[in-house]
Amino acid sequence: MRGGEIHALVGENGAGKSTLSAIAYGSVTPDAGTIAASGPVGLVHQHFQLIERLTVWENVLLHREPRRGPFVDRGRARTMVRELAARHGLFINPDAVVETLPVGIKQRVELLRELAREPQILLLDEPTAALAPGEIEAFFATVRRLADGGSAILVVTHKLAEVTAYSQRVTVMRAGAVVAQYETAHTDAGEIARAMVGGELPALAARAATEPRPRLVIRDLSAGHGNGTLSKVSLSVAAGEIVGIAGIEGNGQSALADALAGVLPYDGTIELDGTPLPSALGPAARIERGVRIIPQDRRHEALVLDWNVRDNAMLGRQQHAPLRRGAIIDRSVAERYAREVIERFDVRPPNPNAIVDGLSGGNQQKIVVGRALAGEPKLVIAYQPTRGIDIGAATLVQSRLIEARNAGAAVLLISFELDEIFAVADRVIVFFGGHVAGAFTRTELDRGRIGALMAGDA
Amino acid sequence: MKRGLRDVALAIAIVVVIGGLAMIVAGANPIDGFGQLLDGALGNPSEIAETLVQTTALLFPALGIAFAFRAGLFNIGAEGQLILGGMAAGVVGVMVPLPAVLAVPLTLAAGAFAGGLWGGIAGFFRARFGANEVIATLMLNVVALLLATYLIGGPLKEAGATASETASLPAAAQLPGIFPDSRLTLAFPIAIVLALVLRWIFRRTVFGYELRAAGEAPEAARRAGVNLARTAFVAMATSGAIAGLGGATIVMGMLHRFNTGLSPGYGFIGIAVALVGNLDPLGICIASFAFGILQSGAIAMQAMANVPRDVVSIVEGLVIVALAGRRVVAARRNA
Repeated sequence: MRGGEIHALVGENGAGKSTLSAIAYGSVTPDAGTIAASGPVGLVHQHFQLIERLTVWENVLLHREPRRGPFVDRGRARTMVRELAARHGLFINPDAVVETLPVGIKQRVELLRELAREPQILLLDEPTAALAPGEIEAFFATVRRLADGGSAILVVTHKLAEVTAYSQRVTVMRAGAVVAQYETAHTDAGEIARAMVGGELPALAARAATEPRPRLVIRDLSAGHGNGTLSKVSLSVAAGEIVGIAGIEGNGQSALADALAGVLPYDGTIELDGTPLPSALGPAARIERGVRIIPQDRRHEALVLDWNVRDNAMLGRQQHAPLRRGAIIDRSVAERYAREVIERFDVRPPNPNAIVDGLSGGNQQKIVVGRALAGEPKLVIAYQPTRGIDIGAATLVQSRLIEARNAGAAVLLISFELDEIFAVADRVIVFFGGHVAGAFTRTELDRGRIGALMAGDA
Repeated sequence: MKRGLRDVALAIAIVVVIGGLAMIVAGANPIDGFGQLLDGALGNPSEIAETLVQTTALLFPALGIAFAFRAGLFNIGAEGQLILGGMAAGVVGVMVPLPAVLAVPLTLAAGAFAGGLWGGIAGFFRARFGANEVIATLMLNVVALLLATYLIGGPLKEAGATASETASLPAAAQLPGIFPDSRLTLAFPIAIVLALVLRWIFRRTVFGYELRAAGEAPEAARRAGVNLARTAFVAMATSGAIAGLGGATIVMGMLHRFNTGLSPGYGFIGIAVALVGNLDPLGICIASFAFGILQSGAIAMQAMANVPRDVVSIVEGLVIVALAGRRVVAARRNA
């Protein structure tokens, strides 16, 4: 890495990017090899390492707080943080409590804390994962200023658009090793992607012509409390249609998915094929009616990690024939279900007895998606279905969602990745602050306009 | 499985090391102490029979505790459920004059019902209000013991008797013996069959599958259509019923009447047994036999090697602390 330069580090999940930056920062000890740095190293984590109940200045100056005898010099601390923020053009109220701040501002706090150490080298691990398109631009403007001031910047990311737009050089990692290095000006997103996966990208399934019929109709839906409350949302998803919910995390998406799953009480009406689903109707009855959920958090909400693939592949279908035979589970049907998921979704290893906890995130997700799409579902709620999985597995999951749509399922895709929504959805609905901020059909998609709506600019 | 083997190794290490140290502190030779313990438990057929009696008494509460544990619930109220089950059996067995083919099942059922009711109370509060079942069952132990003490000292006391206990059970309500000159009764095969049935429930039935899902990953289970509240209630009630059944077999097979001293803590030792058995019914059968040896050998050890039998209690207590503590820590980490 060179001073004055933004260096992008890309690679699929598990390629070793985060490990490398943790070694550079000093929080992981290398087995072999050396790292030399010309000055202090700062690291901005993907998952913010902030103490939510403390104020901005308390977080930024933690362990470096100015003292007056045994006491913290609060006045000087505030001034220090205010000056630091002004110097870097990151405006912020030092006395704000972190938990009250929106995600974009929290990241500013995280960045300020590292800047307070005056690093010459700054490592940014997936810094834009939680930011709206407009915020991403502002963030890279700040980073650019730091680089211009002589710092060396490393951006760990999997978003190739950001790599080509903002970096000067790019290093590609695969399976724990560096496989390619480019001057960004002399390469393109396609070449970088091929280096990441080590070959050609698989193509997405084609979308067939469908005749959308009304299936899911939501009117004036309100649910949840605190941040992420859903208020008076109306939308519909037709059979044979994928509707993408675009928005930044925490704008009501979780409440929508949980209300549809039957695990969060709600006001307003949800109708499936003209039949209302009352708030008190639990998950079992909804599964019975053809509602399938791909939950947000596969490790806690979808899988029993200590169980094998077979027992997980049938979870959710245990109350229905032919798997259920009286009080007993039919083991041959369980075996068949597991084989179907393994074959259709290329689960590796292809072993129904493999313990799920030992599988990669991508293969775990294939099981979750596979069982949700088995047996002609009527409505599929897919919440970040490709989060944290590699490009190959993500493309497979997206293709299977399109195929389910082609076969007549109504698919509600909730994603924080605009690229995913643009690739897959027939219509896009933008969420902001628990409301519908805008709606677009596939032909009128406008990235700039949607990005603005996601950030709350009406 | 690995966790299970580690737990067994840990339990054996505690028994040998801590038990041995306790014997030295008590002024005895540990080799002699362990020798007398094993000889007293397994030295001849009638001693083996008594060891199996103790095995049976531990097996019921341990199976009950494992049933709740599999659903993610920590039932430490097996002792109270066992006491009330024993009391119900003692009362029903005396009051109902029926031939043995009817009296025995009815008396057993009374014990299971009383234990199930007691476990079900904790299950209801857990299911309805999210009350912590550990605290509820712990407190209900005290209530059970005091309730039994009151009833047995007053309303249920045998007319004219000086001791606080029920009248002797008629022969028709006693469990038939299966080994001469011993207290070994039909309770032993009943417990083994129960273990096999529970294993089948866990592995083959929809209910067992949902119970294990609720225990291992409650959020995933809920979204997959498992009714967590109902599962918690049924698991606690069944858990209590199994422990109550154990209390009934003690009254019907060992004491032939009920008094509040029927259990030297089977409901608590059962926690260690369930954990050493890795919550698997067959593993619990083996663990019960191991703890049965400790229980029945302790008296011989005290008499012959001059080691206080409390050494066994110390060892059992430490096994509970070590294994239950590890489980709780692991559960916290996963949460």
